[in-house]
Amino acid sequence: MADAPEGIILARHRDLDGRRWHPWLRRGLLGLVGVVLLLALLDVFGQRPSTTRVDATAATLEISAPDSVRGGLLFQSRFTIETQQALKDATLILGPGWLDGLTVNTVEPSPVNEASSDGRLSLELGHLPAGAKHVLYVEYQVNPTTVGHRTQTVELDDGEQTILSTHQTLTVFP
Amino acid sequence: MDIVLRAAFAFAFIFFLTRIVGRRELSSLEPFDLIMLIVLGDLVQQGVTQSDYSVTGLVLAAGTIALMQVLVSYLSFRFRRLQPLLNGEPIVLVDDGRLLERNLARERLTREEVLEQARQNQIGSFDEIRLAILETSGQISFITKQ
Repeated sequence: MADAPEGIILARHRDLDGRRWHPWLRRGLLGLVGVVLLLALLDVFGQRPSTTRVDATAATLEISAPDSVRGGLLFQSRFTIETQQALKDATLILGPGWLDGLTVNTVEPSPVNEASSDGRLSLELGHLPAGAKHVLYVEYQVNPTTVGHRTQTVELDDGEQTILSTHQTLTVFP
Repeated sequence: MDIVLRAAFAFAFIFFLTRIVGRRELSSLEPFDLIMLIVLGDLVQQGVTQSDYSVTGLVLAAGTIALMQVLVSYLSFRFRRLQPLLNGEPIVLVDDGRLLERNLARERLTREEVLEQARQNQIGSFDEIRLAILETSGQISFITKQ
């Protein structure tokens, strides 16, 4: 057996007394990192879009948008309106959760008019005949400093009359 | 404030990763390791500064990382009991010419890698080695028989 140089304790540094469990701790912590990566593959941290469909007598609204995103990401929300009855003055009203902390790069096709409706964004789509399909694309980027949950409400109106409404939650990871 | 928190988290996470991946991965700087180092640096930068191109952002991020580095070294210096946690501990790989397979396996090192390091230190065989110690830096130091 060799004599130990100063600073080396053979029992601890050669025979690993009191250190045998260290590799298991290391493996456990590496496993935790692996779990985070697995959760990412399962879309926990975004940004795969999910689809929500709301049916009403006069129209159907389908929303395709991610439930989770991360700071700085570009993403798209798609609103598909299919009418069973004619809507004379179709208006899509998006709650603040669709705008707060997000940059709207573009809305296509551009609505006829935009306005504020009790703090919400009112997108006037104009006349939609019965059987029409109107698809509205909103392209976003998450502001890098935005973090947390927000409720995203959507309402489809025909003039003053509410046709349907729904809400979903968007989670923004840092 | 945000950029300071991001920089602090990035420092802590990279520190945590370097502590759990083991010394084998950190001891050498092969071409692939060098490329990975640059890629990692770029990824970290994006997460820390994101779209902040300002000099203020640079000062905040670099300042935070520098202070965190000083803090870790101070803690290691001031509280000796934290040293194994913050810096790791050396481990003996060869004792009196005898290769300690269990200790090698623990660090995912092979006999050939230890021999390569020995040759770089003008040591031809394990018989010449009194102690080979894998240091916390990932380097192997050799103490030869007289």
